[in-house]
Amino acid sequence: MGRWTVVTATTATMTLVLAGCSGGGGDEDDGGGGGGEGATVNLSLGQDVETLLPMDSNVGDNISVLDVVYDGLVRYDPETTEPYNYVAESVESSDNTVWTIKIKPDLTFQNGEPVDANAFARAWNYAAYGPNAMANNYFFERVAGYDEMQGETDDDGNVVEEPAAQELSGLKVVDDLTLEVTLIGPFAGFATMLGYTGFFPIAQECLDDIEACSVKPIGNGPFQVSEWNQGQNLTASLWEGYTLDEAPTTYDTIEWTEYAGESSWPDFQAGVLDLGSPPPAEQAAAESDPDLQERYLEGPGAALTYLAFPLYKDGPWTDIEFRKAISMAIDRQGIIDALLPGQRVPADSWVVPDGVPGGEAGTCEWCTFDADAAKAALEKAGGWPEGETLTIHLGQDETEEQLFKAVGDSIQQVLGIPYTLDPTPDFFANRSDRAFTGAFRSNWFPDYPLNENYLAPVYASGDAENGNTNFGYYGEEFEAAIKAGDEAPTLEEAVTRYQEAEAALATDFPTVPLVFSVNSYYYSERLSNVVLDPFSGEPKLRILEVSDAM
Amino acid sequence: MGRYILRRSLQAVGTLFLVVFVLHLLTTFAIQLNGNPALAFFGDRVPSASQVAAVEARFGLDDPCFDQVGNPCLGPFAERLAGYAQGDFGTNLRGREVTDIVATAAPNTLKLFAVVTVTWLVMGMFLGSMAARWRGRPADHGIRMTSVLIDAFPIFVLLLVYRYVFSVPLSEWARSTFGSDSLPAQLFRPSFDADHAWASVLVPGLLLGLAGSAAFIRLVRASQLESYAGEHVRTARSKGLHERHVLLHHVVRNSSVPVVTAVGLTFTEALAGAVITEGMMNIYGMGGVLWEAVRGSDIGLVIGVVTILAIVTVVVMIVVDVAYAALDPRIRYE
Repeated sequence: MGRWTVVTATTATMTLVLAGCSGGGGDEDDGGGGGGEGATVNLSLGQDVETLLPMDSNVGDNISVLDVVYDGLVRYDPETTEPYNYVAESVESSDNTVWTIKIKPDLTFQNGEPVDANAFARAWNYAAYGPNAMANNYFFERVAGYDEMQGETDDDGNVVEEPAAQELSGLKVVDDLTLEVTLIGPFAGFATMLGYTGFFPIAQECLDDIEACSVKPIGNGPFQVSEWNQGQNLTASLWEGYTLDEAPTTYDTIEWTEYAGESSWPDFQAGVLDLGSPPPAEQAAAESDPDLQERYLEGPGAALTYLAFPLYKDGPWTDIEFRKAISMAIDRQGIIDALLPGQRVPADSWVVPDGVPGGEAGTCEWCTFDADAAKAALEKAGGWPEGETLTIHLGQDETEEQLFKAVGDSIQQVLGIPYTLDPTPDFFANRSDRAFTGAFRSNWFPDYPLNENYLAPVYASGDAENGNTNFGYYGEEFEAAIKAGDEAPTLEEAVTRYQEAEAALATDFPTVPLVFSVNSYYYSERLSNVVLDPFSGEPKLRILEVSDAM
Repeated sequence: MGRYILRRSLQAVGTLFLVVFVLHLLTTFAIQLNGNPALAFFGDRVPSASQVAAVEARFGLDDPCFDQVGNPCLGPFAERLAGYAQGDFGTNLRGREVTDIVATAAPNTLKLFAVVTVTWLVMGMFLGSMAARWRGRPADHGIRMTSVLIDAFPIFVLLLVYRYVFSVPLSEWARSTFGSDSLPAQLFRPSFDADHAWASVLVPGLLLGLAGSAAFIRLVRASQLESYAGEHVRTARSKGLHERHVLLHHVVRNSSVPVVTAVGLTFTEALAGAVITEGMMNIYGMGGVLWEAVRGSDIGLVIGVVTILAIVTVVVMIVVDVAYAALDPRIRYE
């Protein structure tokens, strides 16, 4: 009798649930389908994607979406990362300071507006205007008139003066298809920067309603965002009006499912997603699966993790011999094998080898593990002060804490220097306040593929007295080589000059390169021609192919 | 009854004000002590002072009080309250409306919770009633034993095992047998799919419901045993009423008050607290949103979401109290 009620309740629930399911399932189009027309590629996306506005997008995830929604002036070769003109007809300069950009004719946005010189100028001016607080604001620091567009602030960070200009004085629309850009000084790598998300054009309709445009972009690329349920999923489909040639031919829809953290792996295993990489705990199982191994891709990553010292503060680290000792005491390969096998490679240079033009392995002479040499160098430096402890400052991140604990252990074991880790949420604030009292972790992910980007933004300051903000480093030879590179007549020569800057850095040895990231992906049986961009580490979606087999 | 509800509503407004104020203080101190979320916007780059100032203004953190440890920042608090009074719950740091976020996240959590509640009620009422009906018999012992066993499995273990051991092969099998868009394929998906929300929330909901049902089973059993021993049940039986009538109207109904209380309490808890299930199954819900907001020092989002949760809690509590009267005629409000 009690059973009667329960049975009724259960039936009711089941009916309700089933009705809900079929209702949800009915209006869905063919998600998994075959290749050719109507095929969909299913990918994962981080849940922290907040915007799809090019001027405001600077994390890997929104960049990879925008890479198919927008076309830039230049694009990068998937093999060499060298730039080639795409929306631009030509990008030229005789002195590396005044650049003339010619745009291909008859290109339009997805709403029909022309992609012309104004489309670029309006995007760049919006990004460069300080109070808009765009994530890609700093990319325009090299353009003349940038400073006038930033407000003045006092020591407490309060705005005391509004910006004097609303537009970059160095940006001139010569005619519909010609843009003239004047930089504050020569920079040979300017054309290389132009393929970055922050330099994409925007339509006037986008500027008129930035809020709408940041969730539903009006692009000029092969894909159009059809729906974005922020936090859940994002769908883009092929834009029929696309006239340039870099568009996929074997599929017409991309569906990104948003994930919090690294939880997408089981979905890849189950065939829901077409690309996946396992969390550390599942790494070994994936590696021992012969079927999966056939669909595995790996390439060098562009992110460098290194150890820095507060050179602005007195301490043993101001002696180069001490820094050498620390560097040679770290068993990079051993640490990687124990903690993150296959996910990092030991770094023995400051610029990623093969990942960007000018990157070369082995520029760091003291980056190989050598316990005896390390002890000798420490002795030469006068040893470690008795009773002191070396603090290693870092942010709060589980993987990094493990990594730097191992680094500390390695130093302690070889040199007998006791250490303590200081993981703090204030890492960035402390760094800009120069509040560190010991070594500290540093990461660098370059913004555009050129060896200069690993060097100048990190180490150059032009301030011989105080050095750069982060480490207090200043190298005369280094600064001169960077300047020579900026002024070089060709990009090739600039790359060579920047390599000389890296060599100067290697001699001064202000920081200790530790590891480079590794890009890796497993892909589903449906996919072929999967190529990882050596720079971003993401698969090149435009040349990806989807087959009928499923 | 009307006066009672009015009085409770006035109390509720006071409670809400306190909740918002305490939260405001906590998050303000967190920012003053932990450093500025605006700096995280720049990652590993060194921003100029004017760049930081611009981002602070964009994040609504440009009031100098956020740099002064111990300053309660009453100015921004008053502005926020004024906004709330007009139904404007503000935005998160990157400018997305809090109401928009909640409107996306809450339905997912509610779907999950609907499945959980039904599982609780079905498991609790069915097994609890059986145990009470056959008190001291093997069925009773078995059910009590089961409830202890259920208690011994934390939800994250259940989910881990399900997700990594069962769901991958099940979902692969379902996809190849019935097609990738079929109902079984959606049911066993290793994680949530917003396009098939009900289907992909069913199994995690059942597991979460199962994990929480042990307390329910014991609650129902205990309160029904009390009813069985009650004089009204003896009277009903002696009047010659049919056993089914006695059971439904005198035992089940009279023992429902504690069950309703428990559902009400757990409802509000579940709305905010399904963090583990939501996190593991990648359900974009209230728990996950709140978790990320706290991690990112997103004051506007934390306070906005918690205020909305607090409003829901208070309303549910009033509804639960009113439901008592409907269930138990002895309870009257004046």
